[in-house]
Amino acid sequence: MSQHYAMVIDLNTCVGCNACMAACAIENQTPVWKNRWRTYVHDMVIGKPGGEIRRRFLPRLCNHCDNPPCMSVCPTGATHKLDNGIVLVDDDLCMGCRACAMACPYDARLEVTYEDIEIGKEFYGTLHHRSNPSVDKCSFCAHRVLAGRKPACVETCVGSARLFGDLNDPNDEVAKLVASGVAKPLMAHLGTRPNVYYISDLERST
Amino acid sequence: MEGMFYSTQEFWTWWIAVYLFLGGLGGAAVVVTILTNMYYKPHKQLVLWGSIGAFIMLSIGSLLLFVHLLHHLAVINVLNPMVLIEKPDAWISWGTQFIVWMMVWSMVYTFPYMLESPFWAKMPVVGMILNLFGWAGKLSLKFHSIIGWLAVINGIGTVFYTGLLLQSFPAVALWHNPGVPLLFIVSAFSTAMAFLLLVLDLAIKKREEDRPIRVLYERTDVILITVELVIIFVFFHFTTYGLESARHTAQLLWQDMGWIVGFVGFGLLVPFMIELKGVLKGWSSPAPVVFAAILVLLGGYLLRHYFMYSGVYERPYPPQHLIEAPPAVM
Repeated sequence: MSQHYAMVIDLNTCVGCNACMAACAIENQTPVWKNRWRTYVHDMVIGKPGGEIRRRFLPRLCNHCDNPPCMSVCPTGATHKLDNGIVLVDDDLCMGCRACAMACPYDARLEVTYEDIEIGKEFYGTLHHRSNPSVDKCSFCAHRVLAGRKPACVETCVGSARLFGDLNDPNDEVAKLVASGVAKPLMAHLGTRPNVYYISDLERST
Repeated sequence: MEGMFYSTQEFWTWWIAVYLFLGGLGGAAVVVTILTNMYYKPHKQLVLWGSIGAFIMLSIGSLLLFVHLLHHLAVINVLNPMVLIEKPDAWISWGTQFIVWMMVWSMVYTFPYMLESPFWAKMPVVGMILNLFGWAGKLSLKFHSIIGWLAVINGIGTVFYTGLLLQSFPAVALWHNPGVPLLFIVSAFSTAMAFLLLVLDLAIKKREEDRPIRVLYERTDVILITVELVIIFVFFHFTTYGLESARHTAQLLWQDMGWIVGFVGFGLLVPFMIELKGVLKGWSSPAPVVFAAILVLLGGYLLRHYFMYSGVYERPYPPQHLIEAPPAVM
């Protein structure tokens, strides 16, 4: 059986250092100059003034859905899914119609324009590798995963808030957390069957 | 997750509304004019206006979409008809092919009429092309009925596509429901009736000769607007008492005077009343029907405009475009 990659994010241990954002931006050359990221950590406040208020850091990224609406609406086949569950964008095929961005419930898509390619050449220097505009997204760092490494955001996370693993391996920590029900996906009711799971900080503390 | 955030999008805005409006109008105009010509009353001028008008509308709409693409050269991937085998699940694949082939077949169908028309024959470049391809006109006449049906089928496909496109986006309650395709299809045919009434009253101007066609179009438009009003009422109910995303849409739509007065009032109710009076008692001058037709066309655009701007996403975090840049990146 092939792998079925997934990520578990433990909100109890995310400290909001944004190292994942930086690592991802450098690894995948995202257009950070216009504040667009493949992964982003929201700094949120939960609660009402006068009551108990909590600060939450909520990392977000492409959920690599098993039923990805961004893939079914893509007219060119640029958005495709690997056997291991990773959803990728082929920027040779992508014409940038943004239908995927409209379809994605997780707001995981970002535009890379001709202008961004030019700015990227200066920003990322000789390592710059983008050649075509596209509607970009997180790739679970497929190039690293296929080489046996973890995604850049997982490898750099100081709080070990991000775990990456194989749902088809019952001994994998990620598979165990998902099977236990502790880690839950976002907006599962939409039928997208996402592969990014969250361990809530509030559930553990109450 | 605890708190949810509700926001509209900024990927597809007015230019997609124009694209959907002109696509629906053009597709329906081709369907109506060719079917009228084949089965109701032969009318070469109406076909010329319908097909060439649709060609111009679809060209403008497609050009707007093309200009807004991020990677223009890659459009070749969706223009290739093989896309229907490689990506049959994407409505844009079907829509692109429907649009292209509707434009092709409707122009081939219209070609013999252009050859007969002094207006087109005398036109500098077009006249030369018509002379060069005169044989194609004869060939077209030989298979006119089949070609007409090919244009009609692709025209219906184009209209359906403009209705089904928004339904493909599951996160937005306003779009992801069976009412949207119905509403857009009915609206497309209503705007086509309005456009063709304008053509008959302002351009062709054969009032007595074309009276049966005008009466048919006016009656059909009254029925279509009635159906549209019913669907809009259903949407009012659906958005007001539905999912939270839909309720946020309701707050956007039903508190906006542009939607209530502009679309529902002047885009539907006023032309409905004018056309109903015309159907029941008639008008002594074409002016009221012309006015009503213009309102229907404006309403057709407003419907799509408001739909694009009122689709609300529900997420456990705010959207990217509303996030302030971190200081280090500024």
